[in-house]
Amino acid sequence: MIRLDPLALKKLRRFKSIRRGYWSLVALVVMLALACVAELLVNHRALVVRYEGELYFPTYAGFIPGTEFDLGYAYETNYRELQERLEAQGNSGNFVVMPLIPYGPLENAYPGEFFMPRSPDIGKGHWLGTDTQNRDVLARVVYGFRYAMIFAFGFMAGVYILGILLGCLMGYFGGGFDLAVQRLIEIWSNINFLYVVIIATSIIRPNLGLLLVITVAFSWTAMTYYMRTATYKEKARDYVAAAQVLGAGPGRVIFTHILPNTVSTIVTFIPFTVAGAITALTALDFLGFGLPPPTPSWGELLKQGTQTLKTAPWIVSSAFTAMVIVLTLVTFVGEAIREAVDPKQFTLYE
Amino acid sequence: MNRHRTNPGSRPTALLLLGAALFATACGEGGEDAVEAYDNTEEVEAYYAANAEFFREASPDDLPDDLAWEDGSDLPELGSPEAVRGGELRARIQDFPRTLRTMGPDANSSFRPYILDDMTVRLAHLHPDIAGTHRYYPGLAEAWAMDSDGQRVYVRLDPDARWSDGNPVTSDDMRFMFYFFQSPHIQDPWYNNWYGKDVNYTDLTVYDERTFSIGLVDARPNMAALVLELYPKPREFHRDFGPDFVERYQWRFTPTTGPFVLTDDELEGIRTDRTGVSLERLEDWWADSKRNWRYRYNPDRIQLTVIRDTPKAFEAALAGELDFIGGMGLAEYWYDQLPDDHPLVERGLIHKTTFYNDVPRPTYGLYINAAQPILGDRDVRLGIHYASNWQLVLDQYFRGDYVRMNTTADGYGDMTHPDIRARAFDLAKAAEHFDEAGFTQRGPDGILVNEQGQRLSFTLTTGYESLAPVLNILRQEALKAGLELQVEILDSATAWKKVQEKNHDIAFTAFGVGVELYPRYWEFYHSANAYDVPYLEDGSTPNPDRSPNPQTNNFLSTAIPELDALIDAYDTSDDLDEMREMAYRMEEILYADGSFVPGFVTPFYRTAYWRWMRFPEGFDVRFSGAPTEYNLYWIDESARTETMEARRGDGTFPRSVTSYDQWRTTP
Repeated sequence: MIRLDPLALKKLRRFKSIRRGYWSLVALVVMLALACVAELLVNHRALVVRYEGELYFPTYAGFIPGTEFDLGYAYETNYRELQERLEAQGNSGNFVVMPLIPYGPLENAYPGEFFMPRSPDIGKGHWLGTDTQNRDVLARVVYGFRYAMIFAFGFMAGVYILGILLGCLMGYFGGGFDLAVQRLIEIWSNINFLYVVIIATSIIRPNLGLLLVITVAFSWTAMTYYMRTATYKEKARDYVAAAQVLGAGPGRVIFTHILPNTVSTIVTFIPFTVAGAITALTALDFLGFGLPPPTPSWGELLKQGTQTLKTAPWIVSSAFTAMVIVLTLVTFVGEAIREAVDPKQFTLYE
Repeated sequence: MNRHRTNPGSRPTALLLLGAALFATACGEGGEDAVEAYDNTEEVEAYYAANAEFFREASPDDLPDDLAWEDGSDLPELGSPEAVRGGELRARIQDFPRTLRTMGPDANSSFRPYILDDMTVRLAHLHPDIAGTHRYYPGLAEAWAMDSDGQRVYVRLDPDARWSDGNPVTSDDMRFMFYFFQSPHIQDPWYNNWYGKDVNYTDLTVYDERTFSIGLVDARPNMAALVLELYPKPREFHRDFGPDFVERYQWRFTPTTGPFVLTDDELEGIRTDRTGVSLERLEDWWADSKRNWRYRYNPDRIQLTVIRDTPKAFEAALAGELDFIGGMGLAEYWYDQLPDDHPLVERGLIHKTTFYNDVPRPTYGLYINAAQPILGDRDVRLGIHYASNWQLVLDQYFRGDYVRMNTTADGYGDMTHPDIRARAFDLAKAAEHFDEAGFTQRGPDGILVNEQGQRLSFTLTTGYESLAPVLNILRQEALKAGLELQVEILDSATAWKKVQEKNHDIAFTAFGVGVELYPRYWEFYHSANAYDVPYLEDGSTPNPDRSPNPQTNNFLSTAIPELDALIDAYDTSDDLDEMREMAYRMEEILYADGSFVPGFVTPFYRTAYWRWMRFPEGFDVRFSGAPTEYNLYWIDESARTETMEARRGDGTFPRSVTSYDQWRTTP
């Protein structure tokens, strides 16, 4: 069990008391938790199949050919069809349990019909309708959310690790090292990440990792400024001098003494970094420089939606609403964190 | 690569689709500022003298007496006598032109047709209603004569022919044209090669100011096209043509033989205002009363507005700001955005037309790179054929409007193989072929693997972002066969480069093709364009150390000795019947080889336009690819006012949704 110091506990209590932020966080965590198990909720694969006395759990088991259920084809089983078939056969003990939304984000939900957007139809399980390629919009929103959050957290981790490390080193060592790295950062931060992404993705097939690497590579610099000044400030305090006198090396001083005292600065940035990352990925997908098709993404939905604004308003409104909700929640959390760690109310040095 | 096969100026190029350039063009504001005076008279004369065997002088007496002069006067005339001159065409361009040059860097843009391709008058033009034997009607030439034995075409220029700056068109302009295209200053190697000495043309012999002849390297069935589709370059205007051509001529409007020009005011205007370009019609165009020209090019003005996105252009068109409503080729726009029961269509304000044309079809399909190790196995390629569900794309994405492409060269009339049918989607046959190639087991993700553990997975590269749904559909269907296609959408220029360098597995692309008498094979299927040293010394065993030949159009890396021999014979034949036999045989070989998966053919063009746009009876000509291509339309400006008033109120006119299938070639 991690024991939090009284100061942190105080901040946590303060955060909890800000209802809007607190409940936003709860909502976000629930959404994230659901997104982690999205396969159980929104999926074209069945949760459970019982066929001729055997139980199957296709969700995470992977590919089961149709031949397994005597469907006469070697490709992946269409579980909705299988369900209909077994139900038609009546009381044979065979059954299929489908997830709440029985559609995957990639599949054509209207085989045999034109590829065109279809309006929401709860009876068919398309709560938010389908897109221009007959794919379920809700499924794409849900899986798009997951990609956006993976990207956002990956982005945050990358930016913070790099930014904190270099910022602390600059602040701690100061002098020539600080000067040199600052100049390098100034040069580096003048390269526009958007252009780099556009160039990179137009010559190679992008993937989440590549997008992350590029965006992180051009976004970590801002964090160094805050960490540098915070470290400078802390470094001048007596406890740092004391640690140094006791023989602690730079690594120990920075990471066990200075960092915990500067962390409140960083914490306030987290939600805004997350929001920024989601927007960035959506923008890239919207422009066609993001994840390759057919990856589900909000940007891709928005792009489709703007092109079918009049004929299929449910596409753009779904993606837009999802984005607004998530970004609003993140912003509420961010506000609450900022208020909770505001040093004006909690400083020890009155 | 000194090869020659087609009409001048139509090289096989990437078929660009909606290439929304993201980077705004930073056009040089140069203009006439600080341009040094230059006079090339001496160097041009010296060049002619140094190449006297190409630029020949002769006297009118040297003309053979027995020439059979033709002038196309027996052909039906183009256009409608009902056409009315006047009015303004309002159209859209996707990007502001990066230059007003028609060759050199950045010149091949969507704007060029307005100053060159659709507008300039060539020596003579292919009659667009007559297929089979291609016939020509006069342009700058008053008459011409073929001498097949001497491999020479004689041309007599029309004495009325004038440049838009008032100078007459003379043999000297033709001579300068060769100088111009042979010059390295234009920075366009393709032209340098095509017009180079002894590539296609042996000489230009000038008899007098209006009479000349052009000698050809080979006697080919298309020798008329090789000469008559040439167009001169104005000698006077190019007095200062030199090493700085690209910059100096960047924003100059070259005098044209066509009716539309950019006025000096407009040239001044576009220096600061890049929202559009307008072209004015000459008041006294030299061809105004000439047969085949008098009922065409009817508007007084063409106003082109830059609108980057198709959806925005669509909205602007529905607001009446554009005369044609774009995007109609796409099922989504034709059926969903502007359906037949749309109020504006229903009320007869906007008319919709489907026009079936008869032209060589762009070669949309999957280009499998046989040089890649696994794809070198013919069974894998055939498996990919059977695993590609084009019928689904045609029926459900294109809604049954497009048809399947069958050969590598559809739309050439009887030069197209009549019996070959593309392989249909068939999972059993796909499995059979993949099995044969050693891909027998499905992995845990349902993708086939062979004994070495290699997955049956390939990258599918394309530069057509707007056709991504097609690839998604193919991808989902191919999964059923245990084949994984990883869709890779690149910037169109990058994709083209990647494929030209043979770095692809499978590419989805197409070649734009012009109207030609017979298809070409050398660029696309000859081993010389696939590998540096395709075979060992015996001339047929594949060379194990061969490496791909980059920057060529053999995207399939095809190297088949039998095919090479046929192509070589085809390219030197002067007998169309013999060539037809060979073309059929070549198609059969290519079909068996299975490296090209034919995609789709659009057998028509579709368009929607406001009711003030008027068209001749029959709507358009057989070879037309767009309603404005042959400039047969005219504009009823009084109907425009009336229609816009009706649009604001609730006026109605007779509804018009039409289809013209007089040239239809597909079922």
